[in-house]
Amino acid sequence: MAKVLEGPGMGLMKKWGIHVPNYVVVTSADELTKLGQANDWMKTSKLVAKAHEALGSRFKLGLVKVGLDLNAAVAATKEMIGRQVGSITVSQVIVSEMVPHKEEYYCAVKSTREGSEILVANCGGIEVESNWDRVKRLCLEVGQSPSSAQLEKLSKDAGFTGPLAKKMADFAGKMFTCFDSEDAQYLEVNPVVTRESDGELVALDAVTLLDGDAKFRHPDWNFAFAAEFGRSYSKDEMEVMAVDSKIKGSVKFIEIPGGDTAMLPAGGGASVYYSDAVVARGGKLANYAEYSGDPPDWAVEVLTEKVCSLPGIKNIIVGGAIANFTDVKKTFGGIINGFRKAKGDGKLKGVKIWVRRGGPREKEGLDAMRALKDEGFDINVFDRNTPLTDIVDKALQK
Amino acid sequence: MSILANKDTRVVIQGGAAGVNAARRMAEFCYLIKRPLTVEAFVYPPDAGKTNEVPYGSGLIAIPIYKTIAEATKNHPAINTSLVYIGADRAMKGGMEALDDPNIKVVSMITEGVPEKDAKLLGAHARKLGKVFNGPSSIGIISAGACRLGVIGGAFDNLVLSKLYREGSFGVITKSGGLSNEIIWICSQFADGITTAIGIGGDAYPGTDYVSYLEMFENDPQTKAVVIVGEMGGDLEERAAEWYGAKKRRVKLIGVVSGFCQESLPKGMKFGHAGAKEGMKGEGSARSKSDALKKSGAIVPPTFGALGPAIKEAYQELLKSGQVKEPVEPAVLPKLPKSVEEAMKADEVMVAPLIRTTISDDRGDEPCYDGYPASELINKGYEIPHVIGLLWDKRLISKQEAEIIKRIMMLSADHGPCVSGAYATILAACAGIGLSQAVAAGLIMIGPRFGGAVTDAGRWFKYAVDNKMTVDEFLAYMKKNVGPVPGIGHRVKSLRNPDKRVKELVGYVKSLNIKTPCLDFALAVEQVTAVKKDNLILNVDGTMAAVLVDLGFPVDSLNGFFILSRTIGLIGHWVDQKRQDSRLIRLFDYLVNYAAPKRREVPPLK
Repeated sequence: MAKVLEGPGMGLMKKWGIHVPNYVVVTSADELTKLGQANDWMKTSKLVAKAHEALGSRFKLGLVKVGLDLNAAVAATKEMIGRQVGSITVSQVIVSEMVPHKEEYYCAVKSTREGSEILVANCGGIEVESNWDRVKRLCLEVGQSPSSAQLEKLSKDAGFTGPLAKKMADFAGKMFTCFDSEDAQYLEVNPVVTRESDGELVALDAVTLLDGDAKFRHPDWNFAFAAEFGRSYSKDEMEVMAVDSKIKGSVKFIEIPGGDTAMLPAGGGASVYYSDAVVARGGKLANYAEYSGDPPDWAVEVLTEKVCSLPGIKNIIVGGAIANFTDVKKTFGGIINGFRKAKGDGKLKGVKIWVRRGGPREKEGLDAMRALKDEGFDINVFDRNTPLTDIVDKALQK
Repeated sequence: MSILANKDTRVVIQGGAAGVNAARRMAEFCYLIKRPLTVEAFVYPPDAGKTNEVPYGSGLIAIPIYKTIAEATKNHPAINTSLVYIGADRAMKGGMEALDDPNIKVVSMITEGVPEKDAKLLGAHARKLGKVFNGPSSIGIISAGACRLGVIGGAFDNLVLSKLYREGSFGVITKSGGLSNEIIWICSQFADGITTAIGIGGDAYPGTDYVSYLEMFENDPQTKAVVIVGEMGGDLEERAAEWYGAKKRRVKLIGVVSGFCQESLPKGMKFGHAGAKEGMKGEGSARSKSDALKKSGAIVPPTFGALGPAIKEAYQELLKSGQVKEPVEPAVLPKLPKSVEEAMKADEVMVAPLIRTTISDDRGDEPCYDGYPASELINKGYEIPHVIGLLWDKRLISKQEAEIIKRIMMLSADHGPCVSGAYATILAACAGIGLSQAVAAGLIMIGPRFGGAVTDAGRWFKYAVDNKMTVDEFLAYMKKNVGPVPGIGHRVKSLRNPDKRVKELVGYVKSLNIKTPCLDFALAVEQVTAVKKDNLILNVDGTMAAVLVDLGFPVDSLNGFFILSRTIGLIGHWVDQKRQDSRLIRLFDYLVNYAAPKRREVPPLK
């Protein structure tokens, strides 16, 4: 699942015929001044300026300013660019025209097991969240498109009447086409409003989640996906992502500041059980990590170095189930190199390492890990006869 | 009994290298359970018409590769299952092709990163046709004692340790590939093992979910209990719970769910499999899944670690109620034949080597010349002549000797374009011949009349010195037994027009304080022969030969010094012609003396 910022999200909607307000995304106040000279709407309409970053609660942070004229928008942009919020530096501002309106509505399309679901409500903004029962749904099988009759019925069921019912049906139809054609997993417009100037329905705010796996068939996805947890990726995280994109198999790494138990387990499934075990034991995770699919040893080595560089860690959990085809000796070779490098750099002082693993060449791999004891590592190695997460219990025993 | 994969399963694998690797793993399992290989064909258009070799026991089985599924099933009508090992961008097309084939009933896809929409379309298409689409991202399916689809089950040793050679009583369904193996292992240690284990893949919308497989297990009398390993995200576990709670089921359901850690992690953080994502309002959380399973009557151990004991307890109950009997283990199991390398490592076989070498060894992280690592030689200041010494004479020569060899090579690196070797290389270069062949053409010229006299000269000078012959005795011996003295005589050089190379080399060697009996003898020979005829001087071959014999190089290696040095020149000539983009050349008529008979009539053929 890949989140897309408002700018490119609205771009995709516009591509599929959905009315969106005029907008520009700028990286400096000067750029906005120049654009203001070129675009009439920026001189004639009231404007909204918002920090164009993956940040929650922008309103509270003062990163959304409404009712501006161009000069005020330039000033707001100047103020927002470069502001530091947590780990994110605001580098872009989206400036759009305000659309005067009275009523607000809601429309979304989401992925379901069977296919998709179109959601429509004749209330919008924060009102829809407190009146979720007013949201009406149309379920569609995968491969099926909604008929205009179905869409009109949905619109009418949601309480739209007269010409507006037809307009909302059209709007929902376009939302579905955009969703389906762009391999979206979630599209939400809240609010949808009636533009007073021409009576057309306009999408004022968009949430767009795309299927990152489908990128190969969308050459026009020329935008970066945004981090999904309200902060930007760290340098180490991005380095591991860069490695991940190059290799067969995978390596994953997400930092969790403040934790003291570092994770270096194998497998997308087992890694979560290991994290669960740490939390269940009252431990504090310092990161999430995972390697799988028989990755090359150098990739695991990079991952290991990042894990060893986490500040304030007391234990490293090198866990893993019984691998199907990941070569234990080879991947452990990468981990061992990473450990040695970290130790050479003065890291891992007082850190205990806990190992449990099975799979192809498990004996050789586990023996190599055990041999690290002779090099002065505080390492405890267990084989398949020790249940999966018991090393976590041992590590966190008080 | 088992589900999905059984003794009648015959397989086509769609894909290249990863598919061949899966076939190897499947062959190991077939060998363990003493059944023929289940893989009958591959579909991989780039290699269509060729075969893939799959090791089975100590032999190799050639499996044909086809362009399409239709061709594969036409030639192998027993095929009823396809395994998809093709890239995410082409996986849907491949999966659809397999589903649309009337012979194929089960399609399992290992491909990761398949777009969600494609996976849903494949699943829907399979349901419409009444077939099974398993995956994407599935590690495979294994039925103990019957059939393995994919690499699930791991290495051969693990198949044996997990008792996959015979049926147990537990069904397994997991999203995670690694954990499928873990659960199979646990079932074999805490209970009697598995019937069938299925990896359904960790994507958000697996083609076939827990419920469909639970239904199949419910209808398989051999399966007495099913273990499911869930994770947060989606509603598959809730649906499984709903199925289990809906009515009295014959099978016991044991389930664990991962993702409790999410409750104390940053919101929105993505981890684990693609499908592991919590929905809005807590739906799909590990807790809600776990609670749903508990409510349905399933056995839900509090942690993954408690799963083993829970499985054991369920098994003991089954034993007590007489629903299962203690399994009988086979007395002997086939052992996977070792490779020659492995067997040698274990001191189980002795192999008579085919060749023997005494000069170099490349088995470490770098080549060793006569035992010395190349990098160490470089870092301690040794040079090319020392490497020659090590590889040709197995000794570390002195700095002085190295300097002599260096000078010999510099003096004989090239001798202009007109000599046989260079001319042959140039001729070949002009004909568009590649470097190695053109240089070889030049090297072929090295023989008794061109450059190839070094060895012979060395041999006879050494013979004379070893036998303490006088110059006269030597010349008489040569005249009687050998002919002209190799190393003596030059086509154009003479006493009055001496070869500067010889002067240079002799001068240098004589300036050193070393014993040079061979060189001294050769110079004495020259004194006599040059008097007889002006051009019977010690030539560069003879000088090199005498000096190298004095340095102790074996006689048979001597031509090598000329070959090696001259190769530098030959390469230069080839590059030179190439750089000039030289055109094809041929001799001019006027450079040929046409001494053949005049044109005449051909008589009738008799």
